[in-house]
Amino acid sequence: MAETTPRPPSPRAPSPRARWAVPGVVAVAVAAAVGVPALASADADLPDVTAEQLLTRVAEAGPAPVQGTVVYTARLGLPELPVSEMTGADPLALLGGSSTLRVWSDGADRSRVSLLGATSEYSVVRDGAEAWTYSSTDDEAVHYALDAADQARYDALAERVRPGAEVPGGADLPTPEQAAAQLLAHAEEDADVTVDRPTTVAGRDAYQLVVSPTDDATLVSRVVVAVDAETSAPLRVQVWATQDGEAPSLEVGFTDVAFTAPDDTVLAFSAPAGATTEEVVVPLPDAPDAAAALPGAGTVPEGVAVSGSGWSTVVTLSDVDVAGLVGGDAASLGTVPGAERLLGSEEAQDLIQEFVPQDDEGRPTGPQLDTGALYDQLTTAVPEGRLLSSTLLSVLVTEDGRVLVGSVPADALRAAA
Amino acid sequence: MSLAEAPAAPPVPAPAPVAWLRLLRSELRLVLGRRRNQVLLAGLALVPVLLGTVLALTRDSALSGQGPSFVGQVTGNGLFLVVAALFLCLPFLLPLCIGIASGDAVAGEAGAGTLRYLLVVPVPRTRLLTVKAVAALVFAACAVLAVAVTGLVVGALYFGLHDVTLLSGSTVPVGEGVLRVAGIVAYVALSLTGLVAVGLFFSTLTEVPVGAMAATVVVAIVSTVLDSLPQVSAIHPGLLTHHWFDFAEFLRVQVDYGVLGQGLAVQAAWVALFGSLAWARFTTADITS
Amino acid sequence: MTSPAEVPGTGGADDGLAVRTAGLTKRFRSGQVAVDGVDLRVPRGAVYGFLGPNGSGKTTTIRMLLGLARPTGGRAWLLGAAMPDEATRVLPRVGALVEGPAFHPYLSGRANLARLDAGDATADPRTARRRAEAALDRVGLGAAAAKPYRQYSLGMKQRLGLAAALLQPRDLLVLDEPTNGLDPQGTREVRHLVRELADAGTTVLVSSHLLAEIEQVCTHVGIMSRGHLLLQGERAALTERGAARLVVTTRATQVTAAVEVLAGVGLTEVAPPDGIPHPARVDGPVRITAALGPTPPEKVSAALVHAGIDLLGLEVVRPNLEQLFVELTGEGFDVAR
Repeated sequence: MAETTPRPPSPRAPSPRARWAVPGVVAVAVAAAVGVPALASADADLPDVTAEQLLTRVAEAGPAPVQGTVVYTARLGLPELPVSEMTGADPLALLGGSSTLRVWSDGADRSRVSLLGATSEYSVVRDGAEAWTYSSTDDEAVHYALDAADQARYDALAERVRPGAEVPGGADLPTPEQAAAQLLAHAEEDADVTVDRPTTVAGRDAYQLVVSPTDDATLVSRVVVAVDAETSAPLRVQVWATQDGEAPSLEVGFTDVAFTAPDDTVLAFSAPAGATTEEVVVPLPDAPDAAAALPGAGTVPEGVAVSGSGWSTVVTLSDVDVAGLVGGDAASLGTVPGAERLLGSEEAQDLIQEFVPQDDEGRPTGPQLDTGALYDQLTTAVPEGRLLSSTLLSVLVTEDGRVLVGSVPADALRAAA
Repeated sequence: MSLAEAPAAPPVPAPAPVAWLRLLRSELRLVLGRRRNQVLLAGLALVPVLLGTVLALTRDSALSGQGPSFVGQVTGNGLFLVVAALFLCLPFLLPLCIGIASGDAVAGEAGAGTLRYLLVVPVPRTRLLTVKAVAALVFAACAVLAVAVTGLVVGALYFGLHDVTLLSGSTVPVGEGVLRVAGIVAYVALSLTGLVAVGLFFSTLTEVPVGAMAATVVVAIVSTVLDSLPQVSAIHPGLLTHHWFDFAEFLRVQVDYGVLGQGLAVQAAWVALFGSLAWARFTTADITS
Repeated sequence: MTSPAEVPGTGGADDGLAVRTAGLTKRFRSGQVAVDGVDLRVPRGAVYGFLGPNGSGKTTTIRMLLGLARPTGGRAWLLGAAMPDEATRVLPRVGALVEGPAFHPYLSGRANLARLDAGDATADPRTARRRAEAALDRVGLGAAAAKPYRQYSLGMKQRLGLAAALLQPRDLLVLDEPTNGLDPQGTREVRHLVRELADAGTTVLVSSHLLAEIEQVCTHVGIMSRGHLLLQGERAALTERGAARLVVTTRATQVTAAVEVLAGVGLTEVAPPDGIPHPARVDGPVRITAALGPTPPEKVSAALVHAGIDLLGLEVVRPNLEQLFVELTGEGFDVAR
């Protein structure tokens, strides 16, 4: 049993120092896995284009099937809203922070947009003139539809714009080149339109169109639109403020996108069993009204005054019952000039409903959110009244019931009041 | 007398995988056979029972329809009891159980002194650590399954299983619904692997198992708190708990596996980092207990 | 620190030594040196008493021997294999009881042994049950095998620890304080077990802070104090080395004469009994002690008889290990630092 011959030394196990190097290497590898993709999204290498060429391509491309994930980020410099991320998918979340949306569109008249909450979802599904919204938090579906007569008119209109059909007055419609040239000319009245270095958005090469206001009075430094090099679809819009050169104040862009037709099960919708369902009949505006309803279409509603021009325009609304609005009094909405017209749009109505939650009898309730407190938190007192100031927009509510809004510094509003 | 007779040749060890499996079987018997751990699993299984009973009793009262949507939907579809119970257990109860099991893994043996006897048997330290890690992971899976299986049974008994209304408002047949809920259970279980690795690392640092358990639970809580602070939003995507509730992805009309993959990749990073830290610590530490 | 390469005949060679260390040192992070340059040499087949007071560094040395702690200096070999690098290869042949028994309190003695056996890659699972029963019987725990460990008495726990060390045939047993918590009967049984194992050829390294308990079974002894190995070697040779004393019993009336005789034959440190003998017992027996030195005892007895002193008794007292320790360190053995 005695072993007298010397044994060759066995391979020594790694020293303690070598062992502790392993987690170090792992940490570096993890850091690299996180960091490298960020570094890799370097500038894309694309042939040069002019702003006009780029706009022409966008106009030519038109809507196409698309599905993907959109992240919306607002850095408006507002005080933090007392809205936890856990309260669910709520359009109010769009005011601050970051939101994620899923978008599906067949490129024609069917689409679905879902605002994602941690464990909730707010969906808007459109199919032609019909639309559904569904909130998983309340298990509530709202169905927006035209009445029978309007539906017939809509179908007729839709038939006329169907591909291949003769477009009425088609000769009057500008070609993509003309449209682009007109748009560019209009934009260049008070801004410089340039093409910046190409970039990468959602893993795709993209051109960047930059619109920089020439007006020093505005809070907007520039608007940057990233356009997909292949499909010419806009992939991202950034609005930069003069006050913040670090990051865009508003950003909406795809983080993940595919230009393929979505699955039919995604675009189809019917009210789920057991959900509360509300039917809303939306009137189809008459043709002349439709033109008037477009914002900026010429006529200004009574009680609204516009001063300044271009990017530094200030809009003044008179005789608004701000206190009532803040208190959640739905009737006070009527004091907002043009409110009835604003409310004609589905989106606005949704928004109003989300801002002013209602109980079963339609009375406004607000257990989740104290709008009065929110108002106090967002605004600051100034001699003229109360001021909300963000990196892109200033709002001044004066003691005498006027509301001044403009993408100008707060001081400019106070001077205008 | 024969016991003391010295063998002429050195004993031949079994192949490493065989030895590893034999030790794992012993470890699993130890972990799952331990009364305390059985009580923990039973406690977790009680959550869906209580939740289902409360919802069944209050379903027609004013209290119904509160909380996250799938809690409100339980009364209409027992399948949601699984989701609702996991949702309720995920922030605290599951991390607590994971913390106890993984924090106890090495520190418990060190505290009892049994660690030194295992090591002089000898059990190679790397083998012991991997067996401990696998046993802790198995316990985590059992914890999630305890909630899920009782949730399914209680939900089916109280409310029946029906077609599933997704968060997106679409409805899928009950068969697909069960598959989606199974996906949720799997994702939740995998989401806990990072915490198991953290617990295992703490467990190698101390001889006081309670300390390692508490530290592990605190890590989960601190991670949740950080996740709710917008000021540190830059680090949110890497937080241990940030992607835990992404299991909701299984309840959307089109499951984005990229989102789920990202959540699992974060867990994998935590497992790699704290697993290697635990290994470096455990294979170099002096056993002083 | 001595590099092992500079020590002749080391580097994995067996040397006929079951345990060997070269300059083994453990410095704790606190800066305290628990073990300082210890060179243990435990021959194969020996029963090596590793002795020293509590806190003298015995347990830390044993932890390093078994690969539980990493030496900050020096090296160690068990059965010719370098520790801790070759631990996996050599430890199956080593049974150990380290710093008291430790088992899962809610498992039975038998289940605890099964647990340890499951960790041993060299153990045959088919014989696990049989080997566990045999080990339990051997330490007298056969009847309590199914009881949970938490219900065991201290002595039963110690026996279970021994049973764990005896699960497999071993070449070397390292028993750290195996008699702790045992009653005199249990201590005797452990001694008996150690002797039995040694007779069968197993090398035993047994540590204790209670010298008397294991002194009798040791063939070799190493004495630790304050991190140093004060001395080691065969027990007989060590105790021989110590100063023997002569104890002479005579009548009280003859004390003065006897002291003179003893001093006359060259004995030193001659100490007469304390005080004056009781008047009523002036001729009662008294004891005089003296350091024997090189003088043969028979020469002393002859001188005393020749001087007409009534020699009621004459005894040569060899020092035991404890006295040797006190002699070496000048302090009591049971004093913890």
